[in-house]
Amino acid sequence: MLPALIPLAIVSLVPFGYIVWMSFSKVSLVGGVHMTWLGVDNWSKMFSDPNVLSSWKISAVFFGATLLLEMVVGVGIAILINEIIFARNIVLSVLLMPMFVAPVIVGLLGRFLTDSTFGLYTWGLSHLGIGTNILGHKSSAMATVIVMDVWEWTPLVMLITLAGLAAVPKALIEASSLDGATYFQRLRFVVLPSISGVVLVALLVRAMDAIRFFDIIWITTNGGPADATKVIPLRLYETAFRFFDLGYAAAIGLGMLAFSIIFANIFVSLLEKRGATR
Amino acid sequence: MIGRSRATTLLIGVLTTLVLLFAVVPLLWMALSSFKSTGDIATRPPTFLFSPTLEHYDRLFSGGNDITNYIKNSIFAAGVSSLIAVVLGALGGYGLSRSTMRGKRHLAFWIISTRMAPIAAVLLPLFLIFRKLNLLDSPYGLIVAYLTFNLPFAVWIMNAFFNGLPSSLEEAAMTDGASRWGAFWRIALPLTKPGLVTTWILCLVFSWNDYAFAQTFSGTKSQTIPIAATQLITQTGIDWGQVTAIGTIVVLPMVVAGLAVRRWLVTGLTLGAVTGE
Repeated sequence: MLPALIPLAIVSLVPFGYIVWMSFSKVSLVGGVHMTWLGVDNWSKMFSDPNVLSSWKISAVFFGATLLLEMVVGVGIAILINEIIFARNIVLSVLLMPMFVAPVIVGLLGRFLTDSTFGLYTWGLSHLGIGTNILGHKSSAMATVIVMDVWEWTPLVMLITLAGLAAVPKALIEASSLDGATYFQRLRFVVLPSISGVVLVALLVRAMDAIRFFDIIWITTNGGPADATKVIPLRLYETAFRFFDLGYAAAIGLGMLAFSIIFANIFVSLLEKRGATR
Repeated sequence: MIGRSRATTLLIGVLTTLVLLFAVVPLLWMALSSFKSTGDIATRPPTFLFSPTLEHYDRLFSGGNDITNYIKNSIFAAGVSSLIAVVLGALGGYGLSRSTMRGKRHLAFWIISTRMAPIAAVLLPLFLIFRKLNLLDSPYGLIVAYLTFNLPFAVWIMNAFFNGLPSSLEEAAMTDGASRWGAFWRIALPLTKPGLVTTWILCLVFSWNDYAFAQTFSGTKSQTIPIAATQLITQTGIDWGQVTAIGTIVVLPMVVAGLAVRRWLVTGLTLGAVTGE
């Protein structure tokens, strides 16, 4: 039944070969697709392009902030939910909802909630003395897209961590209680070490997805104001479909691909350690 | 949990309420706003008391802004793509799970890299290929585009679900004269039904929620419903009543479908690295 993998090879390897070829070419779309061999021009241009470099830096800030917040908040909420006895399934179901919302709708909701005249969150924040032009300022625009990403994906971290928490042996917790450990000592020395593997899986899954999607930022700020939120996938998209420099965009894309391949590699090693690939 | 003080219980209650509000307020506000008149949406401060109206939903299904075709395109592209992915995923995943070939690690690595490839990077070669093959602005093009992430995902997840199934049952059936195919079709597949449904639903959610592919590859003939939502952003402003109504239509079925397979979500979304409950 392995022949079923042939279609996978087609949708995977053909585009990959194509993008590599594109990255060494000048791509013209006038009167059909024409590719002219260019050598390493696109690549050498990329490594000295200040715009690309600045987009990578913005991406690093965005990934760093979202991943850190999602991990801390997600694990925190999971520990909280794990203590709930009453209506736990309902609480869990409600908390998971953001995960299924289309990122484009998350982006639109972000704009709706932070609208400078009638946004619900703008109104709430104005009581804290925060200005109304939230998406118009560099730092608050960045903070908004980060919070929106955290809103959508923290539930995933929480869900994975909960699975880890359920697997912590009860005997271990009881033994530590009998030895007189306080709640926070138990958390620090028993619970957290036992779930560290699962939390690492959550981190890797999020890291790989963080560079995959860019819909939220695309819709909310489209990279603005003044390129403050122009993460690398948005830079690529603009290069390809606004300036139609598809060869150059391909080189940027391969740079991104290298990034996700590193994480995929760590992920597979981790799977092997957990015995999941057999 | 034994002998928890009232203060602790209260603290847990308050924190849980805060977390619930953080998660649900944007969605509730969207649903609520979709039933407000255009005037009620634009008030400052925001109003919670209003007389509900269906005008936005009415306008979505009649006249110039009719989104019926968008919904049809979405159902067709996401539905067919996820079905193909599940069928091939079950076959390939089973083969992968039961094979003892060498180099499985490389195969695993390749499949995960394909699944996790940045969408922006995948868009580029597909755009050129589709242009050559005349697949731009075609629902079939979108099906192929969605297969680039659904197929590796389905193969991988089905492999994980089959791995969780002891092969002794199939071996017993084969000793009794069943073929490999029979063992797959009559023993392994029925036993992994939850896995099959979870895989299908997750593929459906991923492709239904796609924006980047649909935005880049589709014109008037194949636009999907997330595109309809963004088309309401115009130079003169955004019709938030319509946007929140479309948003509700996009979100509701996926939330229901996603929560229906909640028990198996962990396995699905960690690509089999963690098994839940």
